[in-house]
Amino acid sequence: MANPMEQFEIKDIAPIEYGQYDLSFTNSALWMALALVSVAIFLFIGTARPQLVPSRWQAAVEYLYDFVRKMLDDNVGPEGRKFAPLIFSLFIFVLACNMLGMIPWVGSFTPTSHVSVTLGLAVLVFVIVCVVGFWKHGLHFFSLFWPKDTFFLLAAFVALIEFLSFLSRPFTLAIRLFANMTAGHVLLKVFGTFVVSLGLFSDLPIVLGILPLTVTVALTGLEVLIAVVQAYVFALLASIYLNDAINLH
Amino acid sequence: MPQFDFANVFLPQLFWLSVLFAILYFGVVRLTLPKLGKVMEERENKVSGDIEKAEKAKLESDKLNEDYETGLTLARDEARKMLADTKSKAAASVEKKSANAQKKADEAIAAAQVEIEKARAAAMKEIEAVAADGASSIVERLTGKSPSKAVVSKATKSVFG
Repeated sequence: MANPMEQFEIKDIAPIEYGQYDLSFTNSALWMALALVSVAIFLFIGTARPQLVPSRWQAAVEYLYDFVRKMLDDNVGPEGRKFAPLIFSLFIFVLACNMLGMIPWVGSFTPTSHVSVTLGLAVLVFVIVCVVGFWKHGLHFFSLFWPKDTFFLLAAFVALIEFLSFLSRPFTLAIRLFANMTAGHVLLKVFGTFVVSLGLFSDLPIVLGILPLTVTVALTGLEVLIAVVQAYVFALLASIYLNDAINLH
Repeated sequence: MPQFDFANVFLPQLFWLSVLFAILYFGVVRLTLPKLGKVMEERENKVSGDIEKAEKAKLESDKLNEDYETGLTLARDEARKMLADTKSKAAASVEKKSANAQKKADEAIAAAQVEIEKARAAAMKEIEAVAADGASSIVERLTGKSPSKAVVSKATKSVFG
């Protein structure tokens, strides 16, 4: 039985060394590049000839962009619109990575199932939140952690907890996405191997494999849903964190 | 799990992620959004402009409708007034004519009555004279003597009063 973790193996395609640093172009980088290319194609076709009455592709691009803009309006307010390009890029990149990983092919790879990738994106969000917060409010940004109208000792205690939870945000953001993707792909792989091992049962060939196959098909549908939902959750949390930085409380 | 083999997987992935995500972000900002934003703004302007135009047209049509309504009411009022005037004029002229006719008739009646009265008086006088003649001739026959005129006229007068 194949190891269900094997699908997450990083393989070098073009080894690159820069000084002592390993910057190899790996399968992960390849699939990130594929995600970028598919997003680029989608955006390019959608905006090739922008019209007042949009074509289908243009309507799709506009719908996605409007969706992100509306999310920022709802969660951040009018000042959030400046961050629409960033949140839009995050959303569409994560979505493309998640969806490309759903291609049922042995060579496909999900970059977002690697905590290195999700942590990179989450740290980007965290850094931007901190920069925006200090830029807008200076040291007053720390009042984000201080509960109002509370007994001093209790407030200090709450502030400590709030601060720790703030620091843990990039990790929770990264691990939520990475764990969802990894768990889904492991599950699919496990049921996929069941199809083969049960289908090869010599006294009753094929028949026993049908049940795990059905489950795999159903799980694939579920994983597609999760791929979309997790991309949305990532973008939503990023905008909620931005709201903290822009509006404090 | 290969994901936690940070020594080998972290750096190359982070490097390519940074490169590719930067390309995506700047591509979105430089290429996609200007086009998209422009057309979306244009559409918003067009829609709001169309709505404004439609509102204006509606206002105008409302005003026209109002004008029409007031015109209609005015015309109706005028027609009603004219009708009433004509009616009252006709009634007045009828009244006048009938009053004239009445007057003429009254005059004619009065003249006829005077005439009748005169005729009657003349007839009475004649009858009186005939009666006096008759009476004096009757008395003459009975008595053989004609009575004096004064007595006869006294007697007839007492009868005819």
